[in-house]
Amino acid sequence: MTQASEIGDIQVADTLDTSGLLCPLPVYKAALVLKKLEPGEVLELICTDPGSLEDIPALARQRGDALLAVEDGDGIQKFWIEKGEVA
Amino acid sequence: MTTTQTGLPTDAHLRRYGDVRDLLPGLDNPTPLVRLNQVTPPGLQLFLKLEWLNPFGSVKDRTAAYLIAGLINRGELDGAQLVEASSGNTGIALAALATLVGVDLTVTIPDGIPEEKKTLLRMLGAEVWETPDDLCPVDHPKDGAIALARSLVGSDTGTHYVMADQYENEDNVRAHYETTGPEIWRQTGGRLDYFLAGLGTGGTITGVGRFLKERDPAIKVVGIEPEPGHRLPGLKSFKEAKQPGILDWSVVDEVIRVDDDPAYDVTQRLFREEGLIVGPSTGAVVHASHQLGAGPGEIAVGISPDSGRSYLSYFEERLGEQGNPTV
Repeated sequence: MTQASEIGDIQVADTLDTSGLLCPLPVYKAALVLKKLEPGEVLELICTDPGSLEDIPALARQRGDALLAVEDGDGIQKFWIEKGEVA
Repeated sequence: MTTTQTGLPTDAHLRRYGDVRDLLPGLDNPTPLVRLNQVTPPGLQLFLKLEWLNPFGSVKDRTAAYLIAGLINRGELDGAQLVEASSGNTGIALAALATLVGVDLTVTIPDGIPEEKKTLLRMLGAEVWETPDDLCPVDHPKDGAIALARSLVGSDTGTHYVMADQYENEDNVRAHYETTGPEIWRQTGGRLDYFLAGLGTGGTITGVGRFLKERDPAIKVVGIEPEPGHRLPGLKSFKEAKQPGILDWSVVDEVIRVDDDPAYDVTQRLFREEGLIVGPSTGAVVHASHQLGAGPGEIAVGISPDSGRSYLSYFEERLGEQGNPTV
């Protein structure tokens, strides 16, 4: 997984802010956005429900996407998800 | 015959109504009870209650009418948007009723629901969110649609969502305690030995079971449960789904587990031998009736929740080339 210092280097194709939304709503919305991205493109996802720390990695695993980085602090969780080839 | 101010004759037999909601069932307008004559265990008189003859097409018309009335009476729908988790039928009835009271509806449905049902929901103006069952991988594995509906209510979305919540709302039970149960009691003259219903929200079995047992505790109330990974929409396997809060096991005498294949085989027989165009959950109920060990002359009533017309894509898969001409 990418170190925090390298996050700035990630090229983001789309950003989804799910602040205030409870799981599984962020998972659902993230899946909708990922569906529209091309393989290799990266979604930056912002969550405020701590449950996302379990749900989003599970979503990425399930879909075959790569979770490039996770940031967690001040009640905000950020994820960088690279769409996989088959998802 | 008398006439109204509009000059039209008034007579209940004319079946002329001012609003589709007047067609909702109740003691004065029960859904039909039809006897099976072929697909029935020897000796047992099995009647199906044809809930698909309700105005919006399923047993869920009763539930939806009570859920909406309860929300309106408690003032909970004021300025709110309605949301519900549904495998289709509750959503369809809620969507029709919501339209009539000017409320928007979002329906979260499990994925794999037949296209026919999704299209009906969208035709009725509902927003349809198709939800993979394993959406919230850390929560209950088969309740993704329910979890999503609840998260819409709990989240800060800028919209005030209210969930009808057929799984936890006692109005669902009340619908069957006040309508389905009394109808069956009257239609059989209280002479029934078994009542059979699929286990889903638990509303039908709890409401009807409670009503019947209060009148005659000897009536056996039988629930039909599918196997995990089943394809019998409307039914739930509690090996993979959370048990609904409204399901009262104290009125259930027996649970019969049914596999998909016999349920679909019996559904096909109901089409071909009884002329009944029913959905697969009816096949599950009738299949279960063959396992009751009922004695001669006993009477059973089973719920036929919906019509086969909503499952044409499922049936087509099973038919293969059957019924197509061979050249």
